Amino acid sequence: MLIPRRVKHRKQHHPGRSGAAKGGTRVTFGDFGIQALEPAYVTNRQIESARIAMTRYIKRGGKVWINIYPDRPLTKKPAETRMGSGKGSPEWWIANVKPGRVMFELSGVSEDVAREAMRLAMHKLPMKCRFVAREGGDF
Amino acid sequence: MASTENKLHAESRTEFGKGAARRIRRAHKIPAVLYGHGSEPVHMTLPGHETMLLLKNANAILTIDLEGTEHLALAKDVQRDAIKPVIEHIDLVIVRRGEKVVVDVPVHIEGEAGVETVVTVENSTLAVLADAFKIPESVTVSVEGLEAGSQILAKDVTLPAGAELDADEELLIVNIVQQQSVEELESELAEAEAEAGIEREESDEDEAAEGEASEGESDDAEKADGSE
Repeated sequence: MLIPRRVKHRKQHHPGRSGAAKGGTRVTFGDFGIQALEPAYVTNRQIESARIAMTRYIKRGGKVWINIYPDRPLTKKPAETRMGSGKGSPEWWIANVKPGRVMFELSGVSEDVAREAMRLAMHKLPMKCRFVAREGGDF
Repeated sequence: MASTENKLHAESRTEFGKGAARRIRRAHKIPAVLYGHGSEPVHMTLPGHETMLLLKNANAILTIDLEGTEHLALAKDVQRDAIKPVIEHIDLVIVRRGEKVVVDVPVHIEGEAGVETVVTVENSTLAVLADAFKIPESVTVSVEGLEAGSQILAKDVTLPAGAELDADEELLIVNIVQQQSVEELESELAEAEAEAGIEREESDEDEAAEGEASEGESDDAEKADGSE
């Protein structure tokens, strides 16, 4: 699973969720992509799960790119703990995804296969997404 | 080759800033700027739908009719909304007949590479120097029968007559790599699933197996139909 090797601050504030993606909004590496339509925190488990779902469907053909990285820690206080006494311990690693961001890309497969693989992957992600193709591509 | 019949009627723009730009977009028009050849930039408004249709062709030469004066222009930069199918702003650069321009031309792949290979397009566009009125729509690269380990570099691409390469000759365009073996893929996925704590149900495996079997059957049936 994707996880940073080292971070400057182990416990961070929650990243801001407002606004749209400033970059990474076009399919750049592959032929097809999954684009986020809502803001969300995507955990490293969700990213891995979506990648596995896509790879299992396309089998050996094609190549998958992951364009997001879970570099922000989220903390959680233990259950039945009184408030105070400091911040909880890091529990998840998340990527802060904003609307418009192309999160996954795929190449080397036909459009039908890509659509189905990405449909399966979208079910693993916590926001509304859509299938997009590269501009000026063959498809 | 790019068409020269792409005429757009533009209106000059006198008010600027995000408020004015938003008013223009609400009226289904596109704010644009025209510059080049040392002339002062000209701010204008273009009709939204017609411009969008013309820009569907890569590197189209546009004839801008700005209050009676015609300018030939090439879209240098098109800003699009990340989610909505809306063009937010266009940068147009003035071109002259007989002038050579550097443009990014899409790369199209044709043919089937060798068995057990994966074709990866490393650069989906190629910068070429061409006459402004003879810009190639695309560059075709054949991967027919190429084996794993083959690479197609920019210098290997056959460009249409009149076009010259304007990129590094060693720029990698297409890379053909060996497909992963079934065992490698299975072990990698199993490891990843174990690490992520994903449990596969037996029904999933059964469905996958059934899917493969039915695909095989349908392929056989298609072959049989074809042979008749």
